[in-house]
Amino acid sequence: MTDRRPGHVLLGINVLVLGYLPAAWQSPLLKKDSFVDPGYWAEIGRTAERGTLDAIFLADGPLLTDPAYDANPVRLEPTVNWGQVAAVTEHVGLVATASTTFNDPFELAERLLSWDNLTGGRAAWNLVTTRGAAAARNFGLPDVPLREDRYERASEFVDVVRALWASAATGDEVRHHGEFFDVEGRLRVPPSRQGHPVLFQAGGSPKGRALAGRVAEGVFAAELTKDQAIEHYRLVKRLARDNGRSPDEVKILPGLLLSLGSTEDEARRRSDELHDAGPASYSLQWLSQAIGYDASKLELDEPFPEDVLAAPSDPQTFQGSLGFRESIVAQIRRTKPTVREYLKQTRYTGSGHAGFVGTPEQLADHIEDWFHSGAIDGFNLQPDVLVDGLPVIADELVPILRKRGLYRHEYETDTLRGHLLAGSPTPSPETL
Amino acid sequence: MPTPYLALALAGPHLLELTGDPALLARWDDLPVAFTVLGIDRIDASSPAATTLDASSVGAALAGRTARGRFLVAASPQRDHPYNLARRVASLGHLSGGRSGVLLGTADAYAPPGPEGAEAWGGAGLGVGAPLTEATAHDAGRAVRKLEQTWPYDAIVGDRAAKILVQSGRIVHADHEGAYSIAGPLNAPEPATGASVVGWLASASTVGPAAAPDPVFDLVLGPDGPVAVVPLGDELPDGVDGIVLRPSADQSVAELLDTATRLLADGLRPVEPGGPLRAALGLAAAAPLPSTSRAAFPVPQPQQSL
Ligand SMILES: Cc1cc2nc3c(=O)[nH]c(=O)nc-3n(C[C@H](O)[C@H](O)[C@H](O)COP(=O)(O)O)c2cc1C
Repeated sequence: MTDRRPGHVLLGINVLVLGYLPAAWQSPLLKKDSFVDPGYWAEIGRTAERGTLDAIFLADGPLLTDPAYDANPVRLEPTVNWGQVAAVTEHVGLVATASTTFNDPFELAERLLSWDNLTGGRAAWNLVTTRGAAAARNFGLPDVPLREDRYERASEFVDVVRALWASAATGDEVRHHGEFFDVEGRLRVPPSRQGHPVLFQAGGSPKGRALAGRVAEGVFAAELTKDQAIEHYRLVKRLARDNGRSPDEVKILPGLLLSLGSTEDEARRRSDELHDAGPASYSLQWLSQAIGYDASKLELDEPFPEDVLAAPSDPQTFQGSLGFRESIVAQIRRTKPTVREYLKQTRYTGSGHAGFVGTPEQLADHIEDWFHSGAIDGFNLQPDVLVDGLPVIADELVPILRKRGLYRHEYETDTLRGHLLAGSPTPSPETL
Repeated sequence: MPTPYLALALAGPHLLELTGDPALLARWDDLPVAFTVLGIDRIDASSPAATTLDASSVGAALAGRTARGRFLVAASPQRDHPYNLARRVASLGHLSGGRSGVLLGTADAYAPPGPEGAEAWGGAGLGVGAPLTEATAHDAGRAVRKLEQTWPYDAIVGDRAAKILVQSGRIVHADHEGAYSIAGPLNAPEPATGASVVGWLASASTVGPAAAPDPVFDLVLGPDGPVAVVPLGDELPDGVDGIVLRPSADQSVAELLDTATRLLADGLRPVEPGGPLRAALGLAAAAPLPSTSRAAFPVPQPQQSL
C-alpha cells in the first residue's frame, strides 16, 4: 500500500488549552491568565484559519483536577469557548467534546444545534462517556464509578440527539421511550448550513469503536505505531461499512504530540527545555503509578534498588498494568539508569499518543508516510506550546504539504462536514 | 425615585434576527441600555415560538462579535444541571469581559417535561432529579453562584520561579447540598470581574404565593418587581428601578431598538454600554464563600527540575 494516494490529508489541532506540556504556561508570550483570555482564544482560531486547517478540537470533562502546575485541567465550556472563536473566524471547523453521561440529551441537542447554526455549519460534537467518581460527585451521584453501561447510554443518547436534530428540519415530534430516556418533543432551532453538527468519537476501546462505526464521522485516536494505526484504521472503516455506511463517511485522525524546530537539534532542545521546566512531581507520579512504588522516596542519583524492581510493593492494591510494569523493569535492568536518568529518558511516555520531535520538513515526511500507508486520513496535531507552535504549523508545515500536493491552498468547502468529506477517500476499500 | 434605566428582552425569533443581521447587532452593541435578556420566552411561561436558539450559544456569539452590549442568558433547571450551567456562565463571564450573567426561571417552555416528581434534571436519566418548583430553581441559582466562587481568580499567580501556575490550595469544594448535591470545584476560575450576575425572573403565572426571592439573586425581574418587564408598546409603570422592554414574537428587534432609542431620548436613564454588568447595575460584589470551605487540593510546593 505504498501507491500514491489521491486527495489531501485532513489537519486538526488538539487545543490542549496552552499546549500539551505542563510548562506551556511559562512561555514569555503568555500572561498568567491567557487560558481564560478571549484574545488568546481568538488568536488560536485566527492562526488555525490562516493555515486553512480543517478543525480545532477541545477536550472536555465536567470536573477539575489540580491546576497547580499546569493549565491543562482548566476547562472553559467548549460550546461557549468555540462559540466565541466562531464569531471571529469564518472557515475553520470547531469540535467540542461533551459527555453523554453528564448531560440531558434534549438540552445538549438544542445547544449543539444552536451553536452549529451560529457558526454557519462549522460545529462538531465529540461524544465521550466520561469515567470517574470526581465527575459523578458533581452530579449528585455516589462516590463510586458509574455502572459499566456508559456505552449503552451513549448509544441511546446519540440516537435521541440525532432524532431531535432531524425534528428541527422536519418539524415532526420525536417520540422516544427507551431504557434511559423518554423524550416527546421537537427542536425549534433552525437547521444549520450543514444541517446539524458533525459527530466525532474519541478513543479506541471496542465499545467506543463500535459506536464510532455506527455514527461517527470523525474519530480521534491514540496510535503509537504505524502498523497498529493501519489495523485500527481499517477496523473502524470496516465497522462503518458493516453499518451500511461508506468507509469515506468516517475520517480517522490520530493525535500527534509535537515539538518543532528549524533544525532537528533545535526541536530537541526545545522539547528538553520544556520538559525540564515542567514539574518534576509529574514524572514521579507517573513512575509511581507505573511501578506501584512511591517514587518520591527514591534517591534520584542512585540506581533503582532491587527490592523496588522485584515486585509491586502491594500487588493487591496495584492499579497499573502488570505487563507494562514488567516491560519497564526489564528496560531498567538492561540499561541500569539512575532514577533521574530514567525519568529524563521516559518522561510523559504514559499518554499513549505518539510523539514527534523535528523540523516541519520531517513532520511533512511523517504525515506523508502515514497517509500513503493508509494509516490515517489526517492528524490531530498537539503542539507542545500553542502560542508559538501553532504558527509554525500554519506558516511552515502547511506550505510544505501544499507544495507536495498533500494539502489544499484555500478553503474549498464552507462547512466542517464539507471539509471532512473533501479529504482523501479510503485507500483500497475493497480489501477492508 | 431616580429615573429608571432601560433594558431589553428578546424572545426566540429575536435571537435569530439579531444574530443574523450585522447592522442590527452593531446598533444593539451601541445602545445605552443596562442589559438584554436572551431568550426570556423560554422562562416566562409563554408558549414556545416557532423558532429559537439556546441562550448561552447566543451569548458566546455576542461575546465574540460585539464589544459593549451586556446580556443575561435565560436558563431553567428543567433539563439543565447547575454544574453544566455554571460552567457556561463562568465561561461567558471570561470571554465577554464580564458583560454577561444568567437569568433563572422555573420551567423551560421549549423543553419536554421530565419524569413526574423529578422534572428538574430527571430527564437526564441518571436516577436523580428534583421537582420543578421555584424552590428548585432558587437552589440552582445558589449552586451556580457557589460553584463560580470555588476557584478565586486571584489564585492564578503564574509564579515562574516556583513553577506554580495556580495557588490551588485556595480552590475549595462547593459541597452544595439542597435540591442538588454538588461537590465541585468548578473547572474554571471565577471571572476577573467577579462572580457573574445571577438574576431571577418572577413569573406572573405562579399559582399560590411565590417563594421569596433568594438573597443569592442580584436582580429580580418580574411583573411587580423593582425591575418591571413591560410588553413593547404598553404604558411604562412608575416607581421602578428599571424597565425591561419585551417585544412579542411578531414584533421585530428593529422595532424594539427604535422604541428603546426614543424612550432614552425621552428621558429614561441611559447606562453607558461597555464594561461589566455588575458595575453597570451598581451591584456590590457577591458575598464570598465561607472561610471554612473544604480545600480541594493540597497547597502547591515550589517545583525543581529533574
Ligand atoms: C484522542 C482522544 C481524545 C479523548 N478525549 C477525551 C475527552 O475530551 N474527554 C473524555 O472524557 N474522554 C476523552 N477520551 C477518552 C475516550 O473517550 C475513552 O473514554 C477512552 O479511550 C477509554 O475508553 P472507554 O471509555 O471507551 O472504555 C479521549 C480519548 C482519545 C484517544
